Amino acid sequence: MDGQSCVMIMNEWDIVAARQLGRHAAKELGFGAVDQARITTAISELARNIYHYANGGKIYIDKIEEKEKKGIKITASDHGPGIPDIRKAMEDGFTTSGGLGAGLPGVKRLMDEFYIDSKTGEGTVVQVVKWLR
Amino acid sequence: MAFDDDIQMKYKEMLANYIQELTEQALYEGQRFSWKAIEHKIPPEEIINIHLKVLKELFPDIPKKILDSFDFLLEVMVGYGLAYQEHQFLRGRQLELKSEIEIAANVQQALLQTNIPKVEELDIGVISVPAKIMNGDYYQFAEHENTMSVAIADVIGKGIPAALCISMIKYAMDSLLESRQNPSYILENLNRVVEQNIDVNMFITMFFGKYDFRTNKITYASAGHEPGFYYCASEDHFYDLQSKGLVLGVDRQVKYEQYELNLFQNDMIILLSDGVTETRTKEGFIDRAAVTSAIRAHLHLPAQQIVENIYKDFEKMQGFQLRDDFTLIIMKKNV
Amino acid sequence: MNLEIDIKREKKVSYVHLKGEIDAYTAPALKNKLAPISEESEPFIEVNLKDVEYMDSTGLGVFVGLLKTVRKQGGKLKLTNLSPRLERLFHITGLDSIIEISRKGED
Repeated sequence: MDGQSCVMIMNEWDIVAARQLGRHAAKELGFGAVDQARITTAISELARNIYHYANGGKIYIDKIEEKEKKGIKITASDHGPGIPDIRKAMEDGFTTSGGLGAGLPGVKRLMDEFYIDSKTGEGTVVQVVKWLR
Repeated sequence: MAFDDDIQMKYKEMLANYIQELTEQALYEGQRFSWKAIEHKIPPEEIINIHLKVLKELFPDIPKKILDSFDFLLEVMVGYGLAYQEHQFLRGRQLELKSEIEIAANVQQALLQTNIPKVEELDIGVISVPAKIMNGDYYQFAEHENTMSVAIADVIGKGIPAALCISMIKYAMDSLLESRQNPSYILENLNRVVEQNIDVNMFITMFFGKYDFRTNKITYASAGHEPGFYYCASEDHFYDLQSKGLVLGVDRQVKYEQYELNLFQNDMIILLSDGVTETRTKEGFIDRAAVTSAIRAHLHLPAQQIVENIYKDFEKMQGFQLRDDFTLIIMKKNV
Repeated sequence: MNLEIDIKREKKVSYVHLKGEIDAYTAPALKNKLAPISEESEPFIEVNLKDVEYMDSTGLGVFVGLLKTVRKQGGKLKLTNLSPRLERLFHITGLDSIIEISRKGED
């Protein structure tokens, strides 16, 4: 299993760098065109959140293997203000940015596994996994 | 799933057929396919992917640039696919909410049940229809040995917030009615209860009347409620039920003036909520004369039939869509 | 179901010009726009209703709430250029006895 790749998200164009890394890893793993698009959209969304709300953070891309399954794991972490009401942020129909982008519920739908933790004043971690079918 | 396995093959057949024949029938096949795909929850980006694969099979020499353009299209469609999924989810949620509200409405209806007094002297007709599911209008009758009281109230707003206020009034009224006091007292007390318990932007209008069978007099007071009508049979004339008073809930110390009216045979008292007078037709708002004309048209019918006919007329006038809760009470003096 | 809200400050007075309908849909926006002004010390608010074609009880409720806050802050509320229909609404509810009202053409 390859090591981890990491992208610092400080500027808007870092979002593209993260997407590129993700697409590269997804292609190597053997994900088809549609799943590649889904994975990069999820990465976009997570990176945008870091850029817009956290003032900087990191995206980690891992190729993972579990029993017979191969997959891609993406971890987005920042030391930003944190999400005060995670439940609300996970609700459909609720977006702070006024409806642009898929939001966290969208990211959850794009991937197979979704994990989030956030503490106000400390930061946020979102981790998602997509398995090869 | 059988549909999923064959989907690419089916799609290839249909697409090839259309490109070959260019018929409306062939396009219609595409539409039928789309219904099936939606039923099977196939997201839009999958369809694009299938289209791409099929194109490659049908046209092996297709320029690479065209194939590349599909990667771009795919990216764009992922967003649409998410929006679609969110929409489906919200639809389900909305159905859940709707049934929750319907249950609440049934609870409310049971709580607000009031019996229409069956007395020899008066023929009473009532109709109260909410604009949405829960009613923001309220009415209540009460019978005592020699008297009968009627209250009609309108909470500002519609739907759930108004309906919750109504429950508060009902309970306050229940205990006030026990006191057998006159209309001024009732409204003044109710006003204090309301003022303490509602939002700063809310208020309630109410009319309260007490009819004494011994004297054939109705004593009443109003807190900013849409004035009712008094029909004088001997003159065959409709009068406005004069009364003035501030709406409930605004000023804790308000006093309410009481008025008195003698009722004679075939006279009528008509009470309504502003859902009646706020009826809008294509030409604009109706005026109060429209209400009295409507009553005149059915004057000699029993009270219940009069109110039901008027409701039907006004419902039609509004194009079968009520803007506000509609309540109408008619009390005819029989003897 | 649309409401345009225009506010001009001239020294201590806030002149509010409204255009459209004040109902359950537009009332919240009106309330939010007027809230900060009403919460100042001794606010003087004059609302011109010349171009308000329709107002329902939710709209009245906004003005009731506004009046309460303005009074508490030691200020004054005035509504001008009411159409006959609006005037009637304030009269029946008795609100014309606690809010200063003038009808169209009177000022």
